[in-house]
Amino acid sequence: MVVMKAMGIESDQEVVQMVGRDPRYGFMLLPSIQECANDDIFNQKQALEFLDKKLKPSLYSSNEGKAFGVLRDFFLANVPVRELNFRPKAIYAAVMMRRMMDAMLNKDAIDDKDYVGNKRLELSGQLISLLFEDLFKTMNEEVKKRIDLGLRKSAGRSLPIENFITGDSITQGLERAISTGNWDLRRFKMHKKGMTQVLARLSFIAAVGQMTRVKPQFEKSRKVSGPRALQPSQWGMLCPCDTPEGEACGLVKNLALMTHVTTDQEEGLSPLISLCHSLGVESLELLSAEEIHTSNSFLVIFNGIILGKHRQPQRFATSMRKLRRAGKIGEFVSVYVNEKQRCVYIASDGGRVCRPLVIADKGVSRVKEHHMQELRDGVRTFRDFVRDGLIEYLDVNEQNNTLIALYEGEPKEEITHIEIEPLTILGVCAGLIPYPHHNQSPRNTYQCAMGKQAMGNIAYNQLSRMDSLLYLLVYPQRPLLTTKTIELVGYDKLGAGQNATVAVMSYSGYDIEDAIVMNKSSLDRGFGRCIVLKKGVSTLQRYANNTQDRICKPLKKGETDRKGDIEKMRILDEDGIASPGETIRPFDMYVNKEVPVNTKDPVDLQNVGFKSAFQTYKGAKGETAVIDRVALSSDVNNNLCIKFQFRETRRPELGDKFSSRHGQKGVCGTIVQQEDFPFSERGICPDLIMNPHGFPSRMTIGKMIELLGGKAGVSCGRFHYGSAFGEPSGQADTVEAISKTLVDKGFSYNGKDFLYSGITGSPLQAYIFMGPIYYQKLKHMVLDKMHARGRGPRVMLTRQPTEGRSRDGGLRLGEMERDCLIAYGASMLMYERLMLSSDPFEIQVCRTCGLLGYYNHKLKITVCSSCKNSENVSKIKLPYACKLLFQELQSMNIVPRLKLTEAS
Amino acid sequence: MDAQPEPVSYICGDCGMENTLKPGDVIQCRECGYRILYKKRTRRIVQYEAR
Amino acid sequence: MPKVSALNMPDVPMGLPSHMELQRTRVSCDKDAPTHTENVQASGAYASVGVDNSLRLDQFRKNFRVTVVRLTEDDMEFDMIGIDPSIANAFRRILISEVPTMAIEKVFIANSTTLVQDEVLAHRLGLIPIKADPRLFEWKDDNKVSNEKNTIVFKLHAKCQRGGPRLTVKSDQLKWLPNGSEFIDEPTTATDSTPATGSTPKTFTNFDHSQASLPEFANNPIVPKHPDIIISKLGPGQEIELEAHAVKGIGKTHAKWSPVSTAWYRMLPEVVLLQDIKDELAEELVKKCPAKVFDIEDLGKGKMKATVARPRSCTLCRECIREENWEERVSLRRVKDHFIFTIESAGQLPPQELFTEAVKILEKKCKGLLDELS
Repeated sequence: MVVMKAMGIESDQEVVQMVGRDPRYGFMLLPSIQECANDDIFNQKQALEFLDKKLKPSLYSSNEGKAFGVLRDFFLANVPVRELNFRPKAIYAAVMMRRMMDAMLNKDAIDDKDYVGNKRLELSGQLISLLFEDLFKTMNEEVKKRIDLGLRKSAGRSLPIENFITGDSITQGLERAISTGNWDLRRFKMHKKGMTQVLARLSFIAAVGQMTRVKPQFEKSRKVSGPRALQPSQWGMLCPCDTPEGEACGLVKNLALMTHVTTDQEEGLSPLISLCHSLGVESLELLSAEEIHTSNSFLVIFNGIILGKHRQPQRFATSMRKLRRAGKIGEFVSVYVNEKQRCVYIASDGGRVCRPLVIADKGVSRVKEHHMQELRDGVRTFRDFVRDGLIEYLDVNEQNNTLIALYEGEPKEEITHIEIEPLTILGVCAGLIPYPHHNQSPRNTYQCAMGKQAMGNIAYNQLSRMDSLLYLLVYPQRPLLTTKTIELVGYDKLGAGQNATVAVMSYSGYDIEDAIVMNKSSLDRGFGRCIVLKKGVSTLQRYANNTQDRICKPLKKGETDRKGDIEKMRILDEDGIASPGETIRPFDMYVNKEVPVNTKDPVDLQNVGFKSAFQTYKGAKGETAVIDRVALSSDVNNNLCIKFQFRETRRPELGDKFSSRHGQKGVCGTIVQQEDFPFSERGICPDLIMNPHGFPSRMTIGKMIELLGGKAGVSCGRFHYGSAFGEPSGQADTVEAISKTLVDKGFSYNGKDFLYSGITGSPLQAYIFMGPIYYQKLKHMVLDKMHARGRGPRVMLTRQPTEGRSRDGGLRLGEMERDCLIAYGASMLMYERLMLSSDPFEIQVCRTCGLLGYYNHKLKITVCSSCKNSENVSKIKLPYACKLLFQELQSMNIVPRLKLTEAS
Repeated sequence: MDAQPEPVSYICGDCGMENTLKPGDVIQCRECGYRILYKKRTRRIVQYEAR
Repeated sequence: MPKVSALNMPDVPMGLPSHMELQRTRVSCDKDAPTHTENVQASGAYASVGVDNSLRLDQFRKNFRVTVVRLTEDDMEFDMIGIDPSIANAFRRILISEVPTMAIEKVFIANSTTLVQDEVLAHRLGLIPIKADPRLFEWKDDNKVSNEKNTIVFKLHAKCQRGGPRLTVKSDQLKWLPNGSEFIDEPTTATDSTPATGSTPKTFTNFDHSQASLPEFANNPIVPKHPDIIISKLGPGQEIELEAHAVKGIGKTHAKWSPVSTAWYRMLPEVVLLQDIKDELAEELVKKCPAKVFDIEDLGKGKMKATVARPRSCTLCRECIREENWEERVSLRRVKDHFIFTIESAGQLPPQELFTEAVKILEKKCKGLLDELS
């Protein structure tokens, strides 16, 4: 009430009128009116003085008149104040109070902050412009400071401004922000991390999927389920399947196939406002407080600013929409009538998600067959549909004013729009799954994560690229069971998998826990073969003292070879660089680089000492690679930069990971000869055997239908479709139709074949579900992971074995394993594992003082340095880390004393 | 005993011209000025198992 | 009273009861699963009903028959009747994995500037079937030198001219080198400096005389079986120059040595109508079967009866017994000792020879076993 008074609404009655005449509002406002009266605040001046006192006292100036500034500039900053007219702000505040009290009176009126219509996406353009604004203003300030300084020095002389704009602070600022991903803009109180990401090029789908990703800015640690839950309002806008597992689950989302994110319309705000006024919006200035909330009118809110009210909201909304469909106003302007809040929202701001829908008049689609024919003929494009008012973009809010039919069916009065295609509610990654609507939903989510790890084609330029790591499939195939999305995104041209004939049966016992049994002959013929491309870089650095790295000729046979380097230099060319096409083994040299010994002090350039700094290939032992390409170029600092690409071709082996498109991953459990594999009446032998236990708990019916459809597809020669929700619209083949095709081609309707055992030659005692399924090879391969060690490197500080495969580390016997051994009582084993195999050490301990002594090698006696004698010193064994702990404790003034007793 | 060291030539990434380089030369194609050069394939015979 | 075997007594019923005989000789393919798939091996399995189940050589000789149904250049279908599935399966397994052929094993690439990676190119070459009789060649183990008795050398040199159209390299561009390798093997290490034999420089092979001089190959040069297998594609300015060495091997080591695309058998289908199927039902049955197993016999006066016309073409889709009550009318069975064997040759040898080779290998194995035992 004080604030309202401070803004010039001095009459209590007017405030109550602004909020609304409902006595319940008045009752709730009563305490604040009372308080105002108690504090003797009756007019604007008193209110401002009261508020001045509430402000934090500042050191330099009095607070007098400051509240006014705060109210003008900070309070509801989005409402513009023209010529100190506070009325719009006051009305805005009143409407806010009204909403708040509505929410108190009626829980339904509370806004949902997870509702997608209340969210805005921030796009790169907005972020960059903000960053630029900050940098530009910073530069201006600096320039101003410099000019002031210059003016002071050179009184009167003309100063050309371009002399003061120096440096490249904007370029540097942009580069820093983009390379680190940290947006630190003090001016806008923005401190965001991870705003830029390196585009994952591990697979085509990973790259496309990353570009549709939506990331929230608040931290993931909060334990609320609301923002993670699936929101009904994200229908058609954000993919319901594609979200990561784990901590970011449900927070990181992906756009659906047809989502459009609006951008800020710079021009066109004032025309839109004046258009609203000319369509009958009564301006706020002309309304008295009483008139704001009359029962027959709706408030019109434009991009969050109250424009005024309208007496015929539906009519107003309809005419706005007509103008939009006619293309007179922007296609992404949304008009939304909220009956409950008695408001009409018009939004043209950026960051709203919206999607196209076919407009229907009383349930009859505006898109007619001749339009579609024109589209097929290439006369008409999607844009033409929007331009001609056949299709329009709706945002989440406006969808609340519509009734959207899934399909063109019987016309109903209320239907205003028709979905273009139901499969577009899914995103790119989920769109690859055939029959996803038959799967248990988490399976689709798993596949969305796994599709990004599948090997295959990366891009059309994949062989010209120089990625640090690239996985390619030798013979990638196009899925036999496709979806519409696959065709739209081009997965049928850049596939990541192969169609494998799968028999669902138990075989050999090496297929438990999702493992798969593979046919050796299939592998021989190229199934699952992949190419791994790794990059190696060598730069010839130039140093401060003008010395430079150099590349030397390889040693020749017969030349003196001290370290046995000749064998390593086997593949080097005359120029000291290995050439493409050569096979390279681990520890082979690929560039014979030498580095000057002294890089700091000035030296005689003619006579520089060099030491060898050759680079060798590091790969799995026993595996050879081929040098694919060697590129020479100059880097940013104009140094010679040599890039090598190493290529390994791998065939699948035991433990390599595979997955179908239904979140069913598994490792290769065993590889079996073809003659041992079962075969069908037509001589078909599966490529892969999958255990049937994978089905009941996973409930991936889609995979079964994929198998059936794939089988029908190969036998009749037509690619079958399995688009999401596609059966009614003909985008997916029905199981009935597939079964019919199967029967026509002499298969059983249920896809089960009569198989003979390859081992005994007798028929199997069950019909086996067999057919092609699209299988992906995932990037996790045994060769990159396997690790074992006996003896090996140790950490210098603790003398314990190193950690991790990359450092040839030991295999840790962890706490829980230790607990097991304690419980079992295997003390000698514990002793061996935790001490002898780790870091045994011998120390001298003084029995009197309990501190560490030492062994004097000259006198061959043990000495305690604190007691200064050599009596009572015993030798004990303990882990080196323990000794280290004692010494570290001593260094911080804690005395650990060892009390020794004789072992019994 | 061995033959004269033959100069190693590099292929331009843009026009495909062969260039010879000496230590300290700028990495640039003489023909078109493209600044990425690729090394030529080895002349040695490489043996593969057809598996 | 003279001792008479129980089997020869006049009043003892001979043979097995019919249902057991059915179980012994037929796999019955029911709606849900096949039953009685296994073969009864034990000689005394039916001793309690007085039937001897042992396998007798003379019986086998009398009953065993092979009938060739179809024989073309590359594939063959024949019936093998009166044999145990384990033996039939042994032939199948040997055909797939143990009959030797010649296949490219080592590829020496002198130059390849194509997009196809060297390893992939080598792998593709390996899978090309080569029309050469493996029986004329010896086995080559790793430390043996390649000579004219164990190695076939092919050359591939293809170049796409700059400015010309793209070129597809097909298998017919593999040229046989009857005189062995033409590439000179440079000693890679200093120690390996064996002086070149004679005046000719040392190559990767050591041929005494040309393979073309052998009578077998004089008018029958060694070529890939199919001339149109795509090996690689060349863009303008790209080139492939390589030598491929083919050696003898078996399918067990790698599928490229397998002489067959596939070889398999199926048991002879037997379709039995358990009831007379007449009129509409008969029409329904004929319509049901996609393999056209059934026919209609016109009994006159508009009466019809279903008959089993082509049981052999039954694919076991089980469409005829899918619906309710049909399992009582139709019974689908497989004859356990009648195998319809199909051999699809990959082209190295004609299918009929492949089978005889397989028989020889099995024979040799049996002999080996007998030798071991005695």
